[in-house]
Amino acid sequence: MLQIAFKNGGNDYLMPEVRTMSRKLQIVVLACQQALPEPGRLAATLGNSDFKGRVVAEPCSSKVEVFQMLRILSTEADLLWIIGCPEELCRFTEGSFRMGRRVDYARNYLAEIGLETQRLGMSRIPPGDEQALTEAAAEMQRLARSLGPNPARSGSPGGEGVSKP
Amino acid sequence: MIVGTRKPLAEIQDMLKGFDRILLSGCDTCVAECVAGGRKEVAELAAALRMAFQMAGREVDIRENSVDRQCIHEFLLDVVEQAESAQAVLSLACGAGVQALAAHLPEIPVFPALNTLFIGETAERGLWLENCRGCGDCLLGLTGGICPVTRCAKSLLNGPCGGPKNGLCEINLAREFNPEVPCAWLQIYERLMALGQLDRLMQVARPKDWSQGDAGGPRRVLRPDQRP
Repeated sequence: MLQIAFKNGGNDYLMPEVRTMSRKLQIVVLACQQALPEPGRLAATLGNSDFKGRVVAEPCSSKVEVFQMLRILSTEADLLWIIGCPEELCRFTEGSFRMGRRVDYARNYLAEIGLETQRLGMSRIPPGDEQALTEAAAEMQRLARSLGPNPARSGSPGGEGVSKP
Repeated sequence: MIVGTRKPLAEIQDMLKGFDRILLSGCDTCVAECVAGGRKEVAELAAALRMAFQMAGREVDIRENSVDRQCIHEFLLDVVEQAESAQAVLSLACGAGVQALAAHLPEIPVFPALNTLFIGETAERGLWLENCRGCGDCLLGLTGGICPVTRCAKSLLNGPCGGPKNGLCEINLAREFNPEVPCAWLQIYERLMALGQLDRLMQVARPKDWSQGDAGGPRRVLRPDQRP
């Protein structure tokens, strides 16, 4: 099936969901717009697999707050991924470093909840590095597959009705 | 400012057992500065609790709210209004804020989400230090603006003791501090030397009136000119 990513209003790049009896696992990516200048391509890559993907362009990965990570995991995502630049390339000097610290902090929350900390991941990708991006996308898919549905997601009673690729 | 830290999630969940409509209320002054109880932290904790309850198979309606100062009654009107539809309130304010809110909600339980720790300062990003114990008998004029009651591990009024090594307090030997705790009396000495006021160290501090501090029961300040 041919799938084309489309821009949904603001900075969201969505894949059209293939409706089946059961929902697809959802991967949400929050990506620095410098590290990932073409978020639609990643959305398409994720959507061409067995997942539903949403990629949100951020001015810098450090703009992603802990509460946003937790909210997305509580309402929408089976796997959440943050993409930033390598620390030395960050235009906000220490933005990518800050992102790493925040991801660690949010993972501590997940551990307290009893949720797998791997449901929140991150990559630091040099701008335009296609190979690194492909590897990151493969890692997201591998993790989403192995972890399965997020039991902490609202409206997800124990993962019933979720297809695990 | 007042510095606090969040209680463990398990303890918070335990307090909220049996309540299905909960209001989380933050305070956007002191505890927001120490990144424990402002509106962002309310949003974090709300999302975390939603996930925890979801995993426990509980359906809980969690609402969020934050005010500028939970310890001042006029600021609480919004919270009180929202709390009327809740079965319980989880306050992310300091202990004073929790109690002020509880006083306004006689029929709704108010629980603390934080452990209130001390009066302190933001020393660096992400580092808050205790530097005032509210002793009610301030010595800072004698000690170059550095409080020995709070910052000396032994609260010596005439220091230092014989324990410091390389400028560090011997309390660093008892457990690991990061960053290490300096000797407050060495800091006082260096500060007074820089000010050209080393002669102040010749003035022996007299025994302190601890009854002005928390040893004398609950304290209060009364200003007749401000009273209604």
